[in-house]
Amino acid sequence: MFDKVDFVGGWKLYFSLSAILLLGGIIAIALGGLNFGIDFQGGAQFTVANAERQLSDEQVRAALPEDMAGESVVTTLGENGYEVRTPVISSQQEQSQIRDSLSRAFGGEVSVTTVSPAFGEQLRNQALQAVVAALIIIVAFISFRFEFAFALAAMTALVHDILMTIGFYAIVGREVSLVTVVAVLTVLGYSIYDTIIIFDRIRENAPTVGYNRRRFDEMINRSIRQVVRRSIYTSIFTLIPITALLIFGEATLSDFAFALLVGIVAGTYSSIFIASPVLSLYKAWRAGKLQAARST
Amino acid sequence: MGSRRNNLIVLALVVVLLGVAAYFIFIDEPVTRSTQLGLDLQGGVSAQLEGSQTGGGKVTREEMVQAADLIRQRIDRLGVAEPDVRVQSENQIVVQIPGVKNPDEVIRIIGSTAQLGFYQVLAGDPALTEPPQIVPADEVDNIKEDIMENLQDDDAYKEGKTKILFSETPARQGDGIEVYGYIVNENPDLTGDSLKQNGANVEFDQTTGKRVVSLELTAEGGRQMGELTQRMVNESLTSGEPAQLAIALDQDIQSAPTVEDTLGANISISNDGLPDGLPEDEAKQLETVLNTGALPVNMQVISQTTVGPTLGLSSLKSGLLASLVGFGLVLLLLFVIYRALGVVADLALLIYAFLLWGLIVIIPITVTLPGIAGIVLSIGVAADANVVIFERIKEEIRRGKTPRSAIQAGYDKGFRAILDGNVTTLITAFILFALSSGSVRGFAVLLSIGVVLSMFTAIVITRALLGLLSDRGIHLSPALMGVSKSTISATQQQAKVR
Repeated sequence: MFDKVDFVGGWKLYFSLSAILLLGGIIAIALGGLNFGIDFQGGAQFTVANAERQLSDEQVRAALPEDMAGESVVTTLGENGYEVRTPVISSQQEQSQIRDSLSRAFGGEVSVTTVSPAFGEQLRNQALQAVVAALIIIVAFISFRFEFAFALAAMTALVHDILMTIGFYAIVGREVSLVTVVAVLTVLGYSIYDTIIIFDRIRENAPTVGYNRRRFDEMINRSIRQVVRRSIYTSIFTLIPITALLIFGEATLSDFAFALLVGIVAGTYSSIFIASPVLSLYKAWRAGKLQAARST
Repeated sequence: MGSRRNNLIVLALVVVLLGVAAYFIFIDEPVTRSTQLGLDLQGGVSAQLEGSQTGGGKVTREEMVQAADLIRQRIDRLGVAEPDVRVQSENQIVVQIPGVKNPDEVIRIIGSTAQLGFYQVLAGDPALTEPPQIVPADEVDNIKEDIMENLQDDDAYKEGKTKILFSETPARQGDGIEVYGYIVNENPDLTGDSLKQNGANVEFDQTTGKRVVSLELTAEGGRQMGELTQRMVNESLTSGEPAQLAIALDQDIQSAPTVEDTLGANISISNDGLPDGLPEDEAKQLETVLNTGALPVNMQVISQTTVGPTLGLSSLKSGLLASLVGFGLVLLLLFVIYRALGVVADLALLIYAFLLWGLIVIIPITVTLPGIAGIVLSIGVAADANVVIFERIKEEIRRGKTPRSAIQAGYDKGFRAILDGNVTTLITAFILFALSSGSVRGFAVLLSIGVVLSMFTAIVITRALLGLLSDRGIHLSPALMGVSKSTISATQQQAKVR
């Protein structure tokens, strides 16, 4: 498989492909594409199941108190499900009123979730902490297992995958919630695993002495060819159940699966087409610098 | 042959494990009840409460545990089935109650603060000298609004510094409820801190013979009560109006006795209007609530979820459908790619799934939506462990090894890669578990268990199965393992050239 592909030499093409996608994601984020759920900013979420009536956006808003209607977000879930997200509701009484009013309007069962702004902030901090902790531990893990050049390349791939996942989330406008963060962390784990498989082979095949760019790059290509099938199978076997979740799962599971899908595809791509060229380029740059230092 | 006996022992062990799992899943309890479903899948109320000190001090673990006990008792008294009340992190309590019909009432009861407070009454409506306001139960809220308006016009009322509390008691004569409103200081003059442990007791007043709840305060609490009542009596002497002490639980006044003399460490909640004093059940409730509820912690609902049974069921169905479809496709693909090896892997995966179910029932782990995601992800992990090994086996066969030694080599060399992959997944799961709460933990727990169990099935069970197959003289031809003849010769020629 991939006998003819030059994984290292074609880096300009691979990098530009990623750059275009990442740019799209960053623009979407800048345009406010990230759709934060109540987990992170506080508020209430009413989920209607088995609605007897299909209502338009305006009709749903009419069922809400006037001061809430403008700031609420209404989304459809499947055929007869709806989700209404409102700003923070101050009292238990008001919450019950809104619930009953929505239940009357739709003729279905209404479930409620509320999160106070302070708790939302706590969840946000926890999520950030978790991502930072994961990055630190993973950096430590790679630095411990590989030399710096490998760690640097693996980190580049990781950052690539996270940005890709978040960028796609912004582009499609799915709801960012606690499970999204869980998905991002899981992606981190997968991405690093994929990269380790390839780097392990590269290290196994690397000559112990002497550095020659042409030979080193050829060796990287050969190593990738040896494990690429395995790397792709791994992704496929993970992606199959995830795709099932994306298609059949309800809102939460589907959002989760979407982030994983993007992240794992990006992770497989980046460990082959980003991490390995970065490794080669860094080695070459380093060798050039050493040579320059020696000749002066 | 020794290894063959080992393989048989391993498989016998697996059969025993499967039997144990089957017993707990199907026989110990009916299958519909054996697996614990989270509230997001069966419907119910869940609330997260945060405890805080009135002065902003630190809440201790002990205080939280006590608070959790109190909340459990309150829910028990509602007669609701199987509440789950747990302390989480430093200052939070999670309450989960499956299948509740009256979520509003439950949230109100668990959300109200378990705070005992003694207040000096600054003004009351109706005043002590006036006849009580007696109203039917459904008009209590209206009369409260009237009283509130009256009291807000009173000189004693100062926005922000004082608040208005109410007491509701059954009327002394006839039906209806007596409602009183009182202006008191915003913060209690004395809090539940001052109540001795188990300091509340149902007793009979020695002089009147009426039922009261006596409160025994700590030494410090008694001293403070002395100072407070001394001041109140002095003020009363100057103003000529009777001094009144309000005893409130949360924001409801339980009793507002007139204070004629300085009080010490022993006071009592009474209802002199009724012939027997406090009604028996009310007195008992007060005793329990005060003994457990005299906690110096304020409780606030920071997050709540009410899931209806319909939504829960549809989430469960979609989650199950997704898992089964995903699982089925993985089984199919393993067979397509690896043929005979794939069949063995499929068998191992089925065993894996059944053992995982067994663990979920036995431990027991509550399955939630994120938990289903964790299970689904672990299916991929379990399949991957087989892929790693099979790819190695195929690689060895292409180099011309016999199936048996190829299998041996595949396991020896594949193990490290599987360990690497699973360790990274476990690290992520561990971080998630440590830094998150509630439903996310369900994901982390199920993913971790799935990862560890999948290593067991891929390395121990698949290996034993393959070992037996290759020992039994069943000829595993390369084609049966999904390796085509052409790639074998190509690889061997390549090797020769090199």
